[in-house]
Amino acid sequence: MTEMQSDERGFVTGTGIESQDLVSVTDKMARSLVNTPEINDFSGMPRIVLDPVINNTRFPIQQGIFLTRIRTLLNSRTRGKMRFLARERMDALRAEREMKRTGELTSSSDPNVQEFKGADFFLTGKLDGQTTRTSAGTSDYVLYSFQLIDARTSEIIWEDFSELKKQGLEDASYR
Amino acid sequence: MPLHIFTLSWLMLALVAGSLSGCATPSAPYRPPWTGDALVDGQHAVSNAPPKDKVMWQMITARSALFQKNYDLAEDLLDDVLRSIENRYGKDKEARKSRKLFQDEAGKFFIGEPYERVMAYYYRGILYWMAGQPDNARACFRSAQLQDSDSEKNEFRNDYVLMDYLEGLTSLKLSASADSNYMRATNSARLAIPPPYRSSDNVLIFTDYGAGPTKYASGAYGEQLKFKEGRSSAREIKIASAHEEIHLGPYDDLTYQASTRGGRLMDHILANQAVFKSTTDAAGDAALMSGIVLAHGRNTQEVGLGLVAAGLVSKIFSAAASPDADTRDWDNLPQYLTFGTMSLPPGRHILTLRYLDAAGNEISNLTRTEYIQVNDSPKDTVLYFSDIKQQIP
Repeated sequence: MTEMQSDERGFVTGTGIESQDLVSVTDKMARSLVNTPEINDFSGMPRIVLDPVINNTRFPIQQGIFLTRIRTLLNSRTRGKMRFLARERMDALRAEREMKRTGELTSSSDPNVQEFKGADFFLTGKLDGQTTRTSAGTSDYVLYSFQLIDARTSEIIWEDFSELKKQGLEDASYR
Repeated sequence: MPLHIFTLSWLMLALVAGSLSGCATPSAPYRPPWTGDALVDGQHAVSNAPPKDKVMWQMITARSALFQKNYDLAEDLLDDVLRSIENRYGKDKEARKSRKLFQDEAGKFFIGEPYERVMAYYYRGILYWMAGQPDNARACFRSAQLQDSDSEKNEFRNDYVLMDYLEGLTSLKLSASADSNYMRATNSARLAIPPPYRSSDNVLIFTDYGAGPTKYASGAYGEQLKFKEGRSSAREIKIASAHEEIHLGPYDDLTYQASTRGGRLMDHILANQAVFKSTTDAAGDAALMSGIVLAHGRNTQEVGLGLVAAGLVSKIFSAAASPDADTRDWDNLPQYLTFGTMSLPPGRHILTLRYLDAAGNEISNLTRTEYIQVNDSPKDTVLYFSDIKQQIP
């Protein structure tokens, strides 16, 4: 067993989406997003909801991992500049609020007031792929594109992309 | 024959045997202890079989897990299998060794022939869809079709009907276009043509049936990889609910897929090894015979001894050459794959599965009922049925 950095290319590699790709792509997106004028000049705190990335490649991915890393980077490096809404936790949050409303749990504020926030922006993305395969091996190109969409107007106010191409040759004994 | 001829011969034999002692000798294939529970035996094999066979046991056990509806285990096993398949690129010491003259092809890490790799992606795709991830399911169906893209002849490349059909249906479910997928699927169809998409259907039924192809070695030295045809008494399936009945044909035939790949590069390597084995064997026979005759002559004794020694060396090299084709296989695959959709209201339903033979007669001992729970909208209900409930590795 060898411990490696997440952005390091390992010795077990394929032509698919790997941790070093995730790190480089999300680093680039977070840096690009934080400099968006619409975010910088937003009056008040912009509230963002993550909408799952659409996977249009031939590689299965863990669906939330790209946006989770972007969110974590932005939250840890730009404290207070934006807020992300925990929409994937809504069931638990509603249940908590309901128990507070019925008096089953204590509450530090009036639980009957609607305090769940609406989104100002949706952050989402798409992975597209193109594969070429010959008898010698495989070549995979993946385009990672991410967008920030204004929830009120549906305008795409920010978009950026990253692209990676990998090729692998198979040993003759597998051909 | 004088005693010193024998002494010299055995000395040569010992020397050459010693020099070839590093060569691989085929060992008996690993078999797990049989408990009667396919999952227990399969998981034991995954943990204890030689590392080179691990993927094969993971494949076998994954399908046993599917039979038993242990989908979490099947997911874990197939994820590992797909990682092994995807990460096979680059330098591989064991794979390189398996091409050598005195090494077994079965010494390399097993990742299966293309039809086996296709099935690993196909089953993982079904499981992703079951988990409500149609885009990851689509990714698997695409990768499955890709595994079939290096057949020797163009007409047999990417010709799985269901992989195109399902890529199209998942795309429709994700609000993308699927026209070209349906066209490709129908163009590849040989046994039955899948129906046009009903993308609003919420119950997606995957079934497979029969026993799939098996591998065997043919040729004078077992150097040719061949496939024994799979078998299935059932040809079609009718699935009925209280609301509708659907008729599913055999869209994909694994025997056809296994046997239409054409020649592998490895087949040429093994054929050359077989020629070497045959040539050195014949040369060894000739040298031995001539040497023994000449060794009896007073004036030709030394030449004769030399020929005997050369013949022995040649025979030993011939015996050590190992052109056997790799016949390890995923041995619980089905013969036919099919798929259908239904529109059912959320809640509990009973499905009746009737299997029909080639003449359209019902095979009554295969008929069975399944109790299913249809999810509330919008999540599709994805079901997997096979005609065999359990298989022992």
